[in-house]
Amino acid sequence: VSRTGTPGADVSPNTGRRVRRLLRWYPPSWRRRYGDEFAELLLAEMAEQPSNPRRTINVMCNGLLARLTQAGLTSHELPPGDQMRSGLAALGCALAAFGAFAVAMLSQLATGWQWTSPQSASATAGTLILTVAIGCLALIGAVAVIPVAGLAARAIARRQPGLIWPTALAATSAAVLVIGTRHFQNGWPGTGGTGVHHLAVPGGLAAFGWASTLSVSSYWVHPGLLARFPLPEVAWMALSPLALAGVAAGLVMVVRRLDFPSRLLRYLTVLTAAASLIAVASLAGAASWVLGHGPGQAGLFRPGLVNAAGLAIMAAALVVALRAASGVLRACRAA
Amino acid sequence: VPHGAVDHGPLVTFGRYAGPATLILSSLAGGAKHGYALTKDIEQFAGVRLAPGTLYEALSRLEGQGLIEAVPSDDRRRPYQLTTAGAQALRVHLADQRRVAEVGLRRLSKTWGSA
Repeated sequence: VSRTGTPGADVSPNTGRRVRRLLRWYPPSWRRRYGDEFAELLLAEMAEQPSNPRRTINVMCNGLLARLTQAGLTSHELPPGDQMRSGLAALGCALAAFGAFAVAMLSQLATGWQWTSPQSASATAGTLILTVAIGCLALIGAVAVIPVAGLAARAIARRQPGLIWPTALAATSAAVLVIGTRHFQNGWPGTGGTGVHHLAVPGGLAAFGWASTLSVSSYWVHPGLLARFPLPEVAWMALSPLALAGVAAGLVMVVRRLDFPSRLLRYLTVLTAAASLIAVASLAGAASWVLGHGPGQAGLFRPGLVNAAGLAIMAAALVVALRAASGVLRACRAA
Repeated sequence: VPHGAVDHGPLVTFGRYAGPATLILSSLAGGAKHGYALTKDIEQFAGVRLAPGTLYEALSRLEGQGLIEAVPSDDRRRPYQLTTAGAQALRVHLADQRRVAEVGLRRLSKTWGSA
């Protein structure tokens, strides 16, 4: 903020700071386009009325709205190319959050099944649906990431700016996630036994899912019990979501900065639609267990508060994913 | 627009920003203005003070739809002007509003008498 909003008026350092702080609610691309003129408007408004909490809240809310718009999640349409890239990035993040909670839920059920078969149809159906759905989502994720990684590698080889740091962030975070998970999966409470579910989810995979989602735990609201955990395990519970966020943030930045060929975009759009449908099935499976449990279920088959919270977060993530997917499909038709 | 359907113009897709968008377009119909001049003009003719965030959300939507455009300027307070598409959209939207207002006033007058 370098000049006055009203001709002749001086801008105090304090006002300049307030304007800069308010501008930070908006995403960088919005600030590049509208930042200067919006700062001028704010300065003029502040010259007229120095303090106005409603104005502050209005700017904060619209700044967050601009961020959602940039993520392709509002009715404000972006140009088709931007809409597709933003929508795919938002969809990836939403499905990553959805997947983390779904894997946490399945790992709890899979661990229980290592010891004994569930006594209720809801837990049985929930486990089987989640197993198939998460397997399909993992497969879709793999076939989506491979061509995007190839495109990113070619762009980096051509020295396209702005790709190295996000790629390094995603790769480092993924490495931390895998190495940490491999280390902590040694503490998996399963048996490696021979139940029916063991055929679908091998012990190693169940242990990996368990260790990667240790952070999804009700122990966070029981600090006394959490304090009895070994310190490295608590540190991992705090670090692993950050690592997952690092993977997602890196991939989002890469996806937003790549120029996708139209064929690849169409391919990703088909995968997007398929992943959304499977996520719906997955949520139905999780809900059938969490909401349909009876009094006969015990131990790991008894859904707790953390499972209900997980189900709510999965539902919210799915709403975001479906919204992003519909934006991607609309943009694909408009392109 | 499908056969037989009424074209309400692009502003109906603005949702809750249709109101601010109409006010902005109406203000720009009188000539190019920057953000603060728009705020003051709208306050004067409509009695509504658009908050800065709302104003710029509507401005960016209108610009994205090609209904307004930025005027090249060295001033940091960038002015905006109506495009031909914007003028047409405003005309359609105001005609719609006038139709609604006329129906409402006619029915009020018939049932409740004139004020």
